[in-house]
Amino acid sequence: MNAFQVVLSGALLGGLYALMAAGVSVTWGILRVINLAHFGLILLGAYLTYELVTAWRIDPILTIVVTAPVLFVLGAALQWAYDRLNIVEFNSLLVSFGLLIIIIQIAQDIWTADHLEVPRANNRYVTGALTLGRLSVPTSRIVALLLAVVLLGGGHLVLRRTFLGRGMRAFAQDRTVAAAFGIDHRRLSVLLGGAAGASAGVAGMAFMLANFVQPTAAYEWFGIVFAVVILGGLGDLLGTLLAGISVGALTGVISQVWSQRYVTVALFIAIIVALVLRPRGVFTRGRTA
Amino acid sequence: MTAPARAVRGGLPRGLLILVATNAVIGVLGLLSQHLGVTEYNVVLVSTVLFWATQATSWNILSGFAGYFSFGQGAFYGVGVYSMAVLTGRHGVNYLLSIPVGGLVGGALAVLIGAVAFRLRSLRGEIFALLTLAVPFILSAIALNSQAIDGGVGQSLPTPSFPHWVPNFQHLVFLLNLVVATIAFAVALAVHRSRVGRGLAALHDAEDAAEVLGVPTFRYKMLAIVLGGVLGGMGGAVWAVGHYVIVDSVFNLYFPLLVILICIAGGRRHWLGPVIGAVLLVVLQEWLTASNLGNHRDIVLGVLLVAIVVFAPAGLFQRLRAHPWLALGVFLVVFISLVASGFYADLDALLYGMIAAVIVAIVAGAPAIARRLPSGRAASPTPAPTALPGTGAAAGAPAQTVRASSAVPQRAAQRGGGRVLVSIRGVSKNFGGVRALENVSFEVAEGEIVGLVGPNGSGKTTLVNLLSGAMPPDGGTIFIDGRSIKGLAAHKVAHAGVARTYQIPKPFASMTVLDNVAMAVMFGRTGASLPEAREHARRHLTTVHLGHLAESPPASLNLHQRQLLEMARAIAAEPSVLVLDEALAGLNPAEIDDAVAVIQRIHAAGISIIIVEHLLRVLQQLATRIVVLNRGALIADGAPAQVLNDPTVVHAYLGRQRA
Repeated sequence: MNAFQVVLSGALLGGLYALMAAGVSVTWGILRVINLAHFGLILLGAYLTYELVTAWRIDPILTIVVTAPVLFVLGAALQWAYDRLNIVEFNSLLVSFGLLIIIIQIAQDIWTADHLEVPRANNRYVTGALTLGRLSVPTSRIVALLLAVVLLGGGHLVLRRTFLGRGMRAFAQDRTVAAAFGIDHRRLSVLLGGAAGASAGVAGMAFMLANFVQPTAAYEWFGIVFAVVILGGLGDLLGTLLAGISVGALTGVISQVWSQRYVTVALFIAIIVALVLRPRGVFTRGRTA
Repeated sequence: MTAPARAVRGGLPRGLLILVATNAVIGVLGLLSQHLGVTEYNVVLVSTVLFWATQATSWNILSGFAGYFSFGQGAFYGVGVYSMAVLTGRHGVNYLLSIPVGGLVGGALAVLIGAVAFRLRSLRGEIFALLTLAVPFILSAIALNSQAIDGGVGQSLPTPSFPHWVPNFQHLVFLLNLVVATIAFAVALAVHRSRVGRGLAALHDAEDAAEVLGVPTFRYKMLAIVLGGVLGGMGGAVWAVGHYVIVDSVFNLYFPLLVILICIAGGRRHWLGPVIGAVLLVVLQEWLTASNLGNHRDIVLGVLLVAIVVFAPAGLFQRLRAHPWLALGVFLVVFISLVASGFYADLDALLYGMIAAVIVAIVAGAPAIARRLPSGRAASPTPAPTALPGTGAAAGAPAQTVRASSAVPQRAAQRGGGRVLVSIRGVSKNFGGVRALENVSFEVAEGEIVGLVGPNGSGKTTLVNLLSGAMPPDGGTIFIDGRSIKGLAAHKVAHAGVARTYQIPKPFASMTVLDNVAMAVMFGRTGASLPEAREHARRHLTTVHLGHLAESPPASLNLHQRQLLEMARAIAAEPSVLVLDEALAGLNPAEIDDAVAVIQRIHAAGISIIIVEHLLRVLQQLATRIVVLNRGALIADGAPAQVLNDPTVVHAYLGRQRA
């Protein structure tokens, strides 16, 4: 495998990372909720994908028609509860950690601790690859990256350009003032929580295209997702997309030349360096965040 | 450190004595357990409680007292475990020697984490928590990959030998846990009762305010994390003695979770909180396992975590403490009657007894607690209503003053006559391309009241932040009393004689009004023990007319009173220069007159003042000189009457047409 191939397949893996990180980034950046339960939602998305493909024998990508709305409702309900109990910032980290543990335990009771995968007969993405000259790229990663570009790019435009998005950003900066200008924060945050939940459904599906799932997988995502969220800048979806691709390339290179086991070490060093040099996010321009 | 030693007086020796005596009794009872008819299971149970209480105490010193939550407790514990395993298993080192070594390794790791994490200026609490989450992962990777530590196959330990007076192996582990736990509790007790403990509590409530009052926040945070690391490492080493094989799963996530849960359940602001929490949760855990509910342990812990954060965020210790004898009585009655009935196992009786005691304490304590500590919702009276009259006066005053006469613009003339206290020379500051201050120079002499004015965004607050050492200038130098403050931490600048107030008051919410001021005396230029500091604090509160509110929590003060509290805290540090950052913003005219009188009294006591203010009426009354900033540059410096009639100043304030 040549160097370019390593970087390219790593970078394409970044699509999946960005999909997983998007929900954490917006709820943290805009709603000030550090939602570790989001990892549980991704896990549920992955298991739902498994169940639907196994039961209906359909193309895995089609399952998002069901998983995204289901997880939208779950995400919205979760955010509604956080709002009602006024759980933000540090308490949200603790409460959502408790919820994540509960979700993982429930997943284990339902689906056991075994590795599960989507039936290969229905999943043409797991072995498929696109060859361009000497380069070869797994189709699962291309699908994930395309989804990430569409969802995060679209989300970015919604947040930047629409009235709804401006309302949300105003709300992120100052709740009381935003409320005084007629922004209904309850409804907005429930909507945003739902959107984050739906993105978890898509991320769970994208994960299942090329991976096994087991309950503790949720913990394994921590390092990479928080690296992407912090490097990308809180609440900055375009930054998250770029950070996902960079982190993907970085992990690809490290596991190729060194060891898979050092990926977490390298990521957290990257986070520390980024916090020192660019505390507002590596890809955030100026003071616009 | 001499500072904590100095404050360790009074109640501390007695507290330590009680602690050591209690634990000695537990130790003797444990050794005699076989003669007393106590089963070995119960000795192991006490041993387990002590182990978790040690870990929780270790975590609590930084994360509870100072509020820097860590998910990385498993790291300190893990390096302790591996120190013991590698030293005794591979190098034949005595296990008694390996316990302090485990502590040292834990301490060294803490130094490393603290040196990186606490140097990051942008570091917020949540990011600290996430970084600490990573540390166990990193250590696990290192242990797995290193043939000298684990190499992926685990590490076995030899069976320890022990003296004949220890009945058996489980008793040995029990004794070791007891000794380490006693050390841990004693350290936590000493920190809690000392100057360091007060300082940690202050930085928990408002870190930057604590720093400008003279609390060496970086040093205290380092001390807290290192003490935690040493205790966690020693506890881990003892844990390893009790096990035959160590694998890298010691760095799991369940470990920090249980530690956090213990501290949240027990209470984080008092040293006994983690101990109470450990007793409750370990017994609950054991009961779950004994009742074949072990598989749902995680769900129970998760639900408890959510429930406690939402419904009892201050922890159970506070509730139990309000009615200690009632709680103890209920526990004993329930426990003894259940055991005596013969239908219940000891463990069931223990758990039900504790649950009954907790419920009774919560029910009985609820109104009492509510009366003493106002709830979070009531904690922030809105400043909005008082804001309107104040701004009205502000809008009227400058126009009148400016129209009054037409003197020639002139640069600084009138000096206070005394020696120069503050000298600002060519100071600049940029924020990512935005120039907040550009080549600003002026001086403040002894006895002056200098008004610092300028339109919004002109760099006034930036200058205040530079003066108090909260951030360094990009260019130029600031001298306090002839000494450059370049590179000095904010608490050192405070000791050099600069005190400041915040535009938005930042009181220490967990302390009374009196103790808020006493903090500033304790950590001020002269330093004092807490009882002495409280004496001085009363005097300062009288100066600002807050004497009658000394014992109230800051949450019960209105905006005006909070700003007076800010001033009392600032003068308590005995500064030579007091910087007031919009200390009158949002006050009504009567309150303003009151505050002006207070400022004049402070000035009469011999403190020079720099006052940032929009109300020119106030400045005309107070200031001996006025310095005007516009877009980061100094545009006028002189006597109030001259400066306020300077066409450049008028232009900057009112725009072209009026000039």
